[in-house]
Amino acid sequence: MVVGNGIAGLTAADALRDAGFDGELTIVGDERHPAYSRPALSKALLRDELDAHELPAPTHGATELLGVAATGVVPQRRVVQVGGEELPYDRLVIASGSRARRLTDDPGEVTLRGLDDAFALRERLATRPSVVVVGGGPLGMEVASGALASGCEVTLVSQGRPLITQLGRHLSDLFTTSALEQGLTLVETGSARLDGPSRVLLADGAALEADLIVTAVGDVPNTEWLAGSGLARCGALEVDHRGLLRPDIAAVGDVAALPTPYGTRRIPLWSSAIDQSKVAAAALIRGEEAPPLSIQPYFWTEGFGLSLKAVGFMPPSGEPEYVDGGPGGPALIRWPGAAAAINYRIPIPRLRRAAAA
Amino acid sequence: MRLLTIELDRPRCEGHGLCEEAAPDLMHLDGNGELVIDVPQVEAGTPEARAAAAAVRVCPVAGLRLA
Repeated sequence: MVVGNGIAGLTAADALRDAGFDGELTIVGDERHPAYSRPALSKALLRDELDAHELPAPTHGATELLGVAATGVVPQRRVVQVGGEELPYDRLVIASGSRARRLTDDPGEVTLRGLDDAFALRERLATRPSVVVVGGGPLGMEVASGALASGCEVTLVSQGRPLITQLGRHLSDLFTTSALEQGLTLVETGSARLDGPSRVLLADGAALEADLIVTAVGDVPNTEWLAGSGLARCGALEVDHRGLLRPDIAAVGDVAALPTPYGTRRIPLWSSAIDQSKVAAAALIRGEEAPPLSIQPYFWTEGFGLSLKAVGFMPPSGEPEYVDGGPGGPALIRWPGAAAAINYRIPIPRLRRAAAA
Repeated sequence: MRLLTIELDRPRCEGHGLCEEAAPDLMHLDGNGELVIDVPQVEAGTPEARAAAAAVRVCPVAGLRLA
C-alpha cells in the first residue's frame, strides 16, 4: 500500500516492482488527478505550456484510489483507514507529501501547491490583476516572475532579502538584481499578515493593496492523519538511512525527515523524493541488504530571465569561486560542497562533480 | 514483439539529466548538456523498456515520451 500519489508515491510503486514485488499494490491519492510534476506548476505551466506537468501513464499496475484521503493507520493491525474502510497492507509507504503553509484560516487565501491551484492562478493572472506575492523563497520568486511575465504589476513582500535563507547571499543578489531590472517591486519586512482578500499589513504598520494576493510561505508536512499511530514524533516522520520508520513502514518524499550531514531534516525536492523512494522501496523488500540513502540535493529554479541549477546542501557559505563564466553572464560557480549553474547548460553529473571537488 | 520509441521534445529539455540517471544505457547528456538518445527504440516488456519508462517519468518538464 502506498499512501500518496505524487512523484514520491509513484516512484515508490515503480521501485517496488523493480525490486521484484509482484503482489497486490494499492495507491491512495487525495487528489483526483493522476500524478503530475509539481516543479512545473510554478514554472512552465505559469508561462504557456499547459501540459508541462503531465507524467506518462503509470506502469506499476497498482489499484489507484484517487480523490480519497487516507485518514489513519494502525500499525499493530497493519491497516490503513481510507474513506471509512480499513484496507490491509503487508508493507506501507507513506508519501503523503506536504501542503502550503498558510497565513490565515481563510479558504480564499491564494497559494500554489497543487494542480488545481496552478490552473486557478493562471486564470487569475490572465486578467492582469495587480499582484502582491508574500514570500521571498523560490516559490514566491517563481510566482512573482510568472505574474510579471503575464503583464501584471507585481510587488514581492519578503522577510529579508529574497532567496537568502534558501540560496545564500550570492545567488540572492543575482536573482534580486535581475528581478528589480525586470520591474518587480520589492518590499522587505520583518513580518506580514493578511487583512482581508486584498490587503497585506507589514511590520511597520504600512499596508499594501492589490487585486490578487498570493502567499508562498513554505510547506507543512501532512502528518496529522497519522495522529495516534505512534509513527510521528512531534509531528515529524523521522526515518532511518533507508527511509524506514519500522521494518514494514517507509516514509518518503516531502513528508519524511531524514538523516543528513546537517541533522535530521526534510529535503522537499523533486529529485530527493525520487532518490528516497527508490531506496525505501528496496529496503521494504530486501531489508538491510538494500543500500542506504546518500543524498546530494539537486535543485533548480527559474525566473526573471535566470535559470539556476544547484547541487549540494544550500545555502552555501561565503563567496563562490567561478569555475567558468563570470558575474553577469552564464556561469558555473562553486563553494565547498555545493555548485551552481546560472544560465549555463551542464550535465548534472558534471555539476555534481564540481560540488564534490 | 512491439517496439517503443523514446521521443524527446528538445525545446522543452532543460538538461536536468534525471533521465540519464534512470536509464544511463539508453541516453546521456553530452558535454554541452544536450540530451542524446543513444537507444531510440526499446522492445516492450523488456528491462530496457522499464528503464525507458522510468527515465520518461522522472523528467520534471514532460520532455520525454515513450510511444
